[in-house]
Amino acid sequence: MSMGRLLLLAWLLAAFGCSSGPAPERVLRLANWGGAGSDNAFDRLVQRIYRQFEREHPGVRIRVENIPDGYVPKMLLSFVARAAPDLVTLDASSAAVFLNNNLLSDLTPFIQRSRDFSLDDFYPNVVNIARRDGQLYAIPNDFTPMVVYYNKRLFDRVGVPYPKPGWTFDEFRRTAKALTIGGGSGKRPSQYGFSFANAMSNWIMWLWNNGGEVLSPDGRRASGYFDSPQNVQTVSFLRDLIQVDGSAPVLSQVAAMGVDPFANGDAAMTVSGHWSMIGYASAPLGPDGKPRITLADLGVASMPRKVGAPQTVMYESGFGISRDSPNKQLAWEFIKYFTSYRVQALYNSSGIAISARKDVSRERARDPLEAQFLPLVPGARAPQGSRTEGYEFVEKAGAAAMDSVLNNGADVASALRRAARRIDLEFAKK
Amino acid sequence: MSATRRREGLLGWLFVAPATLHLLVFALFPIGYAIYLSLFKWQLFKGTQQFAGLSNFAIAFREEAFWNALWNSARYALVGVPLGMVVALAVALLVNQRLPGMSVFRTLFYTPAISSGVAVAMVWIYVYLPETGLINSAIGLVNAVFGTRFPTSTDFLARSDLAMWMLVFMSVWTGLGPRMVLFLAGLVGIPQSIYEAAELDGAGRWRVLRSVTLPLLAPTTLFVLVTSSIGALQVFTPVYMMTRGGPEDTTDVIGYHIYNEAWVNFNMGLAAAKSLALFVIIAAVAAFQFRLMRSRLEGYSAT
Repeated sequence: MSMGRLLLLAWLLAAFGCSSGPAPERVLRLANWGGAGSDNAFDRLVQRIYRQFEREHPGVRIRVENIPDGYVPKMLLSFVARAAPDLVTLDASSAAVFLNNNLLSDLTPFIQRSRDFSLDDFYPNVVNIARRDGQLYAIPNDFTPMVVYYNKRLFDRVGVPYPKPGWTFDEFRRTAKALTIGGGSGKRPSQYGFSFANAMSNWIMWLWNNGGEVLSPDGRRASGYFDSPQNVQTVSFLRDLIQVDGSAPVLSQVAAMGVDPFANGDAAMTVSGHWSMIGYASAPLGPDGKPRITLADLGVASMPRKVGAPQTVMYESGFGISRDSPNKQLAWEFIKYFTSYRVQALYNSSGIAISARKDVSRERARDPLEAQFLPLVPGARAPQGSRTEGYEFVEKAGAAAMDSVLNNGADVASALRRAARRIDLEFAKK
Repeated sequence: MSATRRREGLLGWLFVAPATLHLLVFALFPIGYAIYLSLFKWQLFKGTQQFAGLSNFAIAFREEAFWNALWNSARYALVGVPLGMVVALAVALLVNQRLPGMSVFRTLFYTPAISSGVAVAMVWIYVYLPETGLINSAIGLVNAVFGTRFPTSTDFLARSDLAMWMLVFMSVWTGLGPRMVLFLAGLVGIPQSIYEAAELDGAGRWRVLRSVTLPLLAPTTLFVLVTSSIGALQVFTPVYMMTRGGPEDTTDVIGYHIYNEAWVNFNMGLAAAKSLALFVIIAAVAAFQFRLMRSRLEGYSAT
């Protein structure tokens, strides 16, 4: 026997010896933008859901890769480095770059092979966020339309009627004014009608409801759209709510309060998504020892409108499988598991969002508060960031423009024109 | 004879080869590649490069944010470098005295330079924190002792009028070690006889500093000025760690701006174009500084 053969034999023995140990662990990598996790009820629930999947798939371990800071660029780099995780959680607001660049696997063949999965179970407009040219790159997990929350207790106290579907900008302004108590002559009101937060994702619907848009229909130009007369009018309207009427606290004051004025029972209305319900369900206690707001106080209304039917945006998250994943079938099993009836029912019991599954969300709509969300679903628009790459910059420029108007008293038309030009220049870079 | 010479020549090449190779692979090649890249639009994850001529430069020079970043770097360097040099020279003069235990002080002043930039930035975040930070705690202590009411809630890194100067202040401290050592070497190199002559002529300490120490330190000063300026224009770590270019882009220095263009926005060509602009600016600043100091350097030679 030659030396070479001896070595080969030794190598074979070693290899054989290794494989006769315990079954090798298969690791399924799942990336999301969450923090490393705290010990709150929601994180514990999600952990329980992961562990159950591992129990049902012996030898499989789910490795969650948390990227709370710079999720999109870090995820893109992992694709460049061919080290992408198996499962990519997609935030619709920033999904375009993943959907447009062939980074994910088309899930259509997986769906066709699965008898235990049907797209008919999901809201079609939510599913379509991740569709490109007949291919489907993600299955929706949960979503929420942006809504007006109002505090019925504060409305009742002043005797102001609750918002009606299809209410107008003017009705909103009157309502907010009527619910603002105290203040005037340099004094701060004891209660505000409205609480405004300057994130563009939080106020873009106001533009739409006055017939305005942010970008051209092909998503490549902001000049002539973001700085349109309608948008100048809408931003002026929001500014006047705060600065003329005093119906909402100025931004620096909200920051100084350190709490969400609506959750604190200090403001009668706010605009947010379903996720805020988690906070409202555990609001801080008032001096009387009772929570400052409870879910029983809450009402949900559509965004006010000025022209056309009321419009809103929906924010959504879903799961995709990376193009080069070595575990595509297993990753698909995980997606089916997480979007199944039993897991979605459990997951959405946390109150985080609305299930993209119709059966689960209808069942949850037996709760009258939950029921108020569902009529808003069919008309909700997908966020622009699911179609336009680099939309994060648009949101940044938009928020900066709003900031200069609200904090520095900038002229609305020139602030929007400047932002539109900055956005166009950013698109020219690509 | 000629064989020995040839062998010596070969040996010489052998000695310079590692450094030359390093320069080629890690400096000249990347610079050349950056020039090439600057002519293209290229988003890393797309794979396709699209020839763009000089449009990346056109975009950069039209972009407000780019000029803002250049301006921020200028502010950082124009204040931080002179301030850092004055402090370093003062410390060098102090530790240049013959006193027992002086090497302990020299070592202490040098420690920031051997600490990790990230760790140092973390420490300075704590220095600047509102209420619990070192500075605000000290103010609180003063308030408690003297009954004063100075505010202790200043969030130094979150205020657009302060954040940049906080980074500058920190750079004086982090850059102290190397600058001090260089000045110290320069001070040691000044012949003692000149000081004795000055003393005989009846020059006071201030006069000696002005007429002997500073002029004879000029070569060192030039070196410290050039290297400090280059370092200041390239600053990245504290910005990335402490302010992320904020608040309101007031600390978005050019190094951080280019990083964002390349690794957050993935506009590689544009980032290359901007880095070339920075390259030209740094070269121009260094050349200007050399010219400025030329008269001072007369009488010195490289050998």
